[in-house]
Amino acid sequence: MVNFVALAREHWVNILVPMGFVIGWYLDKQQDQKLTAFRNKSILFGREMKEGEEVTWK
Amino acid sequence: MLKIIVPTLMLIPTAWLSPAKWLWPTTLAHSLIIALFSLSWLENLSETGWTSLNLYMGTDPLSTPLLVLTCWLLPLMILASQNHTSAEPMNRQRTYITLLTSLQLFLIMAFSATEIILFYIMFEATLIPTLMIITRWGSQAERLNAGSYFLFYTLAGSLPLLVALLILQNNTGTLSLLTLHYSNALTLSSYADKIWWAGCLLAFLVKMPLYGVHLWLPKAHVEAPIAGSMVLAAVLLKLGGYGMMRIMVMLEPLTKELCYPFIILALWGIVMTGSICLRQTDLKSLIAYSSVSHMGLVTGGILIQTPWGFTGALILMIAHGLTSSALFCLANTNYERTHSRTMLLARGLQTIFPLMATWWLIASLANLALPPLPNLMGELVIIISLFNWSWWTIALTGTGTLITAAYSLYMFLMTQRGPAPAHVISLDPTHSREHLLMTLHLLPLTLLILKPELIWGWAF
Amino acid sequence: MNPYVLFFLLFGLGLGTTTTFASSHWLLAWMGLEINTLAILPLMTQDHHPRAVEAATKYFLTQATAAAMILFGSTTNAWLTGQWDIQQAIHPLPATMVMLGLALKIGLAPMHSWLPEVLQGLNLTTGLILSTWQKLAPFALLLQFQTTSTSLLIALGLASTLIGGWGGLNQTQLRKILAYSSIAHLGWMALILPFFPSLTLLTLIMYLIMTLSMFLAFKLNKSTNINTLALSWAKTPALTALAPLMLLSLGGLPPLTGFMPKWLILQELTKQELAPAATMAALTALLSLYFYLRLSYAMTLTTSPNNTAGITPWRLPSTQSTLPLAIAATTSLLLLPLTPAMTALLKL
Repeated sequence: MVNFVALAREHWVNILVPMGFVIGWYLDKQQDQKLTAFRNKSILFGREMKEGEEVTWK
Repeated sequence: MLKIIVPTLMLIPTAWLSPAKWLWPTTLAHSLIIALFSLSWLENLSETGWTSLNLYMGTDPLSTPLLVLTCWLLPLMILASQNHTSAEPMNRQRTYITLLTSLQLFLIMAFSATEIILFYIMFEATLIPTLMIITRWGSQAERLNAGSYFLFYTLAGSLPLLVALLILQNNTGTLSLLTLHYSNALTLSSYADKIWWAGCLLAFLVKMPLYGVHLWLPKAHVEAPIAGSMVLAAVLLKLGGYGMMRIMVMLEPLTKELCYPFIILALWGIVMTGSICLRQTDLKSLIAYSSVSHMGLVTGGILIQTPWGFTGALILMIAHGLTSSALFCLANTNYERTHSRTMLLARGLQTIFPLMATWWLIASLANLALPPLPNLMGELVIIISLFNWSWWTIALTGTGTLITAAYSLYMFLMTQRGPAPAHVISLDPTHSREHLLMTLHLLPLTLLILKPELIWGWAF
Repeated sequence: MNPYVLFFLLFGLGLGTTTTFASSHWLLAWMGLEINTLAILPLMTQDHHPRAVEAATKYFLTQATAAAMILFGSTTNAWLTGQWDIQQAIHPLPATMVMLGLALKIGLAPMHSWLPEVLQGLNLTTGLILSTWQKLAPFALLLQFQTTSTSLLIALGLASTLIGGWGGLNQTQLRKILAYSSIAHLGWMALILPFFPSLTLLTLIMYLIMTLSMFLAFKLNKSTNINTLALSWAKTPALTALAPLMLLSLGGLPPLTGFMPKWLILQELTKQELAPAATMAALTALLSLYFYLRLSYAMTLTTSPNNTAGITPWRLPSTQSTLPLAIAATTSLLLLPLTPAMTALLKL
């Protein structure tokens, strides 16, 4: 029988970096959306979207 | 961008909170995962070249290879320092990992900054962890001197750079890398403008380092612990080349007239530092001087401002980063066994560590730029573009290549061949950790032969 | 010291500074300065030690001279222009005189030589008061009255940054080093004063925070020279690890707080087409950085062997409260990312 409590106590730190990745990914996505919204509103890049064209930011 | 930065930040609490026996495996595994994720930056489909943008950071084909190199180097540094810190108390080991991680954090922000002032701040910020790595974890008393040299050479160059950048900001109204190309060309004619030009470049030339202002580098390399040497050779020097390529755009009309003394110094430096290598007895110092020599070629390639020059400079920077870091690791495996950097004291190691001798052979060949390796591609591209700029450069670059081959051979023969003295027979055997370390250095280098577009920069 | 007397003196210190802050009349401002000086003299001599008495005497003489110059300048001004108001335009002759008086009062080079001597004779608490609180009243005046001679302030500023760096190079006493560091920082403030007074205020605040953290750290360590710093790892390990960062922040290295005032000052100076002065000030900061670096070497970056009595002072923990130190140290390290907030706060 694996002792889950001991395992968790020993290895819980391994969650920190993946957690950082998820947070970073979320923040990146938010920033992308913000910048995309800005681009779509701007006069230089804003235009009518074609049928089924996705609004993306690369 | 934050996908990589936030996990890197989280490595610091991981290093402090993980149980003592898991400290090194945990940080190694996590930094390796971060490095693997950073490879995703290499896929750049953007039309403008810039990708992964947020308000302050982004990557383009110039910074991506350097960013990936930075991320790749952290697990290697952790792998390399495991042995020499093992005698220290746990808290100091954790502090050491924290310093390495914070260095990586500053370097990522430096390479990915889209604002030159942010780049400058991070460029300077890397000084603090590096200084502490050198002066706290180096082994000899001379390390304090080396730390002062390192700090003051760099700062004496970069404080005028700050003033020069602020002047640029006053003239153009922006320091954003995204729009700097489009700002009105400056009218640079007066004597003061020439000083401004020098102020813009001097910091980077000191950091490269250019021959003549390079004295801090061998000192820092010799005194630093292995991780310090690795990061210094592999990434910190490249900050100079990167900064130069970025700022060159703004210096347009002046560089053509003013670059001659610097190109001459850089090319002369290749020959001079190569010659110094030929009579070097100290292994780490030899590798450090070979770095100066290679960086001279990079400086020359950047200063002539042709697309080929820039491409060659970037390729050589990446290839040299991996090669010199590998050589420092090899030097460290010797140092950890013999406790001496003197080459004469540990000869004939081929008979004792045959696999290690293979790594030595490959790393030396990479250092002297053997044909399919990216080192050769970088050197060749730079030498060709310099030859196109002026025929006479071939005299210096050609001699430089010859000398590089000579001292690489000298280093290989001195350490691996010859009679094995009696005291080396009882050395500790090599660890798989060390072989893994070498594999992780040389694998990317050989794989880059297959897809050099990744480190070509803007040129494809 | 008797608590009533102590209260009286501290009250006098506060009263003097507040009077100067609140006054718009030169005479009242001068009175505030005098009350301030007289209140700190007994505090300086509270350890009846010849060195403390010497320091108090030197302090009294310089401050009295400075106050006399200010009084003379403001009286002359009243005589020439017919008014005592601080904020009104002032005649150039008394303006220079008042300026020099104030420079002597805060210890700008070349009127600086009293400061290291006085600070060295005091204990760390009084030294802290001298190098922080005592600067406030003169600065209130410097910020208010309208200077006409830009070149005088630039000359004073550059001389101070140079001498502040130079003088500290061969010092082994921490209080003297802090005094020279104070001179160098005051030089930066004087340099920017004619162009952007609120930046002077920002620099002053940053300097106060960083000096506070350094003085508190040295006080916690009970160290007054470089040699005793080498033992601090045995007393307060965490502080020892942070101290080099605090020192480098005082030296103005990014990404620490100390870079913020230097950055903004350099920016303003280049805007005023004073790039040579800016470069020179930036390079003289390297001199100061050298002695901060030497302190870091001694304190943290080397661990010298020592005897048992030397490395076991953790058995005698200090009773000093560490909360102010913790707050001051945190702010003196991490404020650079908040630069926009700070500039907005001070309406730069």
